[in-house]
Amino acid sequence: MPSSSYDLAEKAIEEGEKLGAQYIEARYVNSLMNTSILKNGVPELGAIARSNGIGIRVLKDGGVGFASFNEMTKEEMSIAVAFATKMAEATGKRRSKKIVFSDEKVHEVKFEALGESGKRPFEVDPEAKIKRLMGIDKLIAELKTNAVIPFRFFQMLDETEKKYIITNEGAKIESEIDRLQLFGIVVAVNPTTGSKEQMMIQKGKTGGLESLDYWKIEDFVTKEATKLSKIVTESKDAPTGIIDYVVGPNVIGIMCHENTGHPTEGDRILGREGAQAGESYLKKDMIGQQIGSEHVTIIDDPTLEGSYGYYLYDDEGVKAGPRYLHNKGVFEEMLHNRESAAWMGTNSTAAARAIGFNREPIPRMANTYLAPGTFEYEELFEDIKLGVFMNNFTEWNIDDRRYQSKYVGLEAYLIENGEIKHMVRRPVIETTTPKLWGSVDAVAKEKYLEFDAATCGKGDPMQGAPVYHGGSFMRIRNVEVR
Amino acid sequence: MIMGNKIEIKNILDLTANKLNSLEFDDYAITANRGNRSQLRFADNQITIAKNWASLELGVFAAKDSKTVAIELQDLSENSIASALESLGKLAKSLPPNQNYFGISDGPFSYPAIEYLADTDFVEFHDQSIDQVEGAINAAEAEGAKRSAGVLAWEVKEEHLLSSKGASVSENSTSYEFSIRSFIDETSSGADVEVGRLFSKVDFERAGTKAGEIAKMAIGGTNGDPGKYNILLEPRVAADIVAATPGAANPFMVDIGMSWLKDKIGEPIGPELISVYDDALLPNGLGSKSFDDEGHPTGRNVIVEKGILKGFIHNTSTAKKAGTTSTGNAGLVLPQNSNVFFEPGEHTFEELLELTKGKPTLYITNNWYTRFTSYADGIFSSIPRDGMFIIKNGEISKPVRELRISDTMGNVFKNVTALGKEIKQIKSWEVNVPTFIPHVLIEDINISAATK
Repeated sequence: MPSSSYDLAEKAIEEGEKLGAQYIEARYVNSLMNTSILKNGVPELGAIARSNGIGIRVLKDGGVGFASFNEMTKEEMSIAVAFATKMAEATGKRRSKKIVFSDEKVHEVKFEALGESGKRPFEVDPEAKIKRLMGIDKLIAELKTNAVIPFRFFQMLDETEKKYIITNEGAKIESEIDRLQLFGIVVAVNPTTGSKEQMMIQKGKTGGLESLDYWKIEDFVTKEATKLSKIVTESKDAPTGIIDYVVGPNVIGIMCHENTGHPTEGDRILGREGAQAGESYLKKDMIGQQIGSEHVTIIDDPTLEGSYGYYLYDDEGVKAGPRYLHNKGVFEEMLHNRESAAWMGTNSTAAARAIGFNREPIPRMANTYLAPGTFEYEELFEDIKLGVFMNNFTEWNIDDRRYQSKYVGLEAYLIENGEIKHMVRRPVIETTTPKLWGSVDAVAKEKYLEFDAATCGKGDPMQGAPVYHGGSFMRIRNVEVR
Repeated sequence: MIMGNKIEIKNILDLTANKLNSLEFDDYAITANRGNRSQLRFADNQITIAKNWASLELGVFAAKDSKTVAIELQDLSENSIASALESLGKLAKSLPPNQNYFGISDGPFSYPAIEYLADTDFVEFHDQSIDQVEGAINAAEAEGAKRSAGVLAWEVKEEHLLSSKGASVSENSTSYEFSIRSFIDETSSGADVEVGRLFSKVDFERAGTKAGEIAKMAIGGTNGDPGKYNILLEPRVAADIVAATPGAANPFMVDIGMSWLKDKIGEPIGPELISVYDDALLPNGLGSKSFDDEGHPTGRNVIVEKGILKGFIHNTSTAKKAGTTSTGNAGLVLPQNSNVFFEPGEHTFEELLELTKGKPTLYITNNWYTRFTSYADGIFSSIPRDGMFIIKNGEISKPVRELRISDTMGNVFKNVTALGKEIKQIKSWEVNVPTFIPHVLIEDINISAATK
């Protein structure tokens, strides 16, 4: 019952104040999830996940305590508030550098992002969901290509999440968000050589089942599986040496996320994630430094309507807006929650996200993208003598300072004398972040801008955050390929 | 239902079973777990947050006319359970049958006894936790570390299972997981972990000392050169990229093209010196448990024997499909490893260093971000982090940086040339399955580097 859960959250604030909490927030989250899993066309599982609980966070004496519970009784609430307050005090007293939170404007608002009427996750019959998924799988299984596609895995997950955040400073944020995610793994095999190529599909959006139509999911999957078959049967060796690259929205998106989004997270820069997701090559005193070329403006904007990382107020109640992480190549803003902002002597950039009632809010990305430029798509290729057009990627990784990264192309083509030629197999970009962004000399127009969905991993315990990343097309000059 | 404000687990199990019976499910397995987990996170030598999770969770796997459904509930009022199970009944009606489903394990069952699952020293440990963390930070500082970050988590848990096929079993356990990463400067760092179930055995200062030592050794590192190397791996690296191969011995992963072990049972996949088990019975093992998610008794199952792939882990359905019997590794959706255990080798660490003589060798102490170009072929890369060193003439000669392991999982496993004789239990941010593994020496592995 939301009203009694809201009451419990509000009582937690009162109890925390009585115990001397300098700051206390209670975050009630109710989540309803449905999942369908399909393995090679066979419905392996239909699953339901429901959670309902409250997370309490307290700042006292320069220390922070967090406790959560899902047995919604006053007794459990009191235990959680007492633990969070006692441990904040106990750890704070031993700190030589006291934790403080930045001062922020307090809001009392409601926001929502719901699926279309009749298409909301709980409104659509489970049979309709699984049939749609089976139809998608069947399209691939029956695809006529030169390759065979014996391995297919699909998972469709929908969620309705209701949240109520209240603080002793007077913030009250109530929200309701529907989300849909489709994840797939498809492996194509060349029947002659036995060579294999894998493709991961991840689509995600706020909203309901209408998102499948928005994505034109059947067309999309058919097109991508057809290309995968061509890759495994027709592609040739990728060129080596010093060449130019044109990369597509999917590749730009992951680069923005990994090479810029993560290293601009305030808590990483402070070393708070040092033992897990790592630190950052960027430092506080590098704000204002030129990291990339003038063509590189990278924005993270939680407020993009319909986006997978959508929110209007973060999990500390701070109003969200676009963050210019790099502006014309210059390191301009960080992703901050109130704790990292205070360390840096600045304000939160509303990046605090907690994935579930039982997680603490930490600085996260939402929707990270390269701002479009002024070039037509064709213009990017015109003067390239030898290069590769990498439209999307397969393997990738990056070191934990976010300095040296590797991206392996999936759908990729040779560029010769300004023309796109045959497919090439698994071209690699393995270079440093400053070299990567410093070598961008052209970005395509807004009409080419596209986003992909992903689940970003960070925190301990892990918090998988729904995010978008994207861009249009960009040209990278003089990449050394070994 | 509500007794002294706490929900009785027995009542939850009975209520759920009655409802599933009334909905006429053919098979079901119900799990109800209550736990209390605490955590201290630290960075820059100070605790950044103290956390506590009180949780009660209900899990159900159920089948009706071979239509398989599941539920995970962290919303456990009587009304919520009843409403969720009603939805589960409707969901089962709406699904097509699962042709891969062949039932759950049938009783009667006899469960193995496992030593050291729960430790009565737990309460005392709770009170010492802040001192324990600070002890490890101080130990790293004594080695020269300027700042350390990490996490200590500990848990007490009760797990209960009831199935339609006669399983009715409970188990209590305790556990702790500690990790520390210490820095002397921005790029000179070291790390270690210490995990287990027995609080009397904790020695976090040892982990702090080791993290500090590696960080100190890493000072002055320069960018390494790409090429072919022999690699000597700390257990925590081996637990990721060497143990990945026995971890791929999973029929579900084979079916979806995410394993490089398809059609490999009975074939040599590694040298004779490697034998690996999935062992749910290991004393002090974080994955140790006497029953799986179907209520089937767990055990010790050989995966690799003297280099030969002997078998996969199974639940009842995957086993029947493969013409074998369950290994007691049922998870809610797919078979899951308990503890992966590597038989130790014969060598001390110093002897392993000696064995590298005459070959360019990298000693890698930590790694992260292992990703695959092709799971089916095992083509991957992974990034060493923290101290990494060139070994020359059997001695650690100089620190290097900015390299990447870029090879295949098949090569990594096949090219193992020696194993250490001391085994360490690893579970970390990168390694989810508790893995008991020694130092591992591997020859001829491709190492790449970023271009400038």
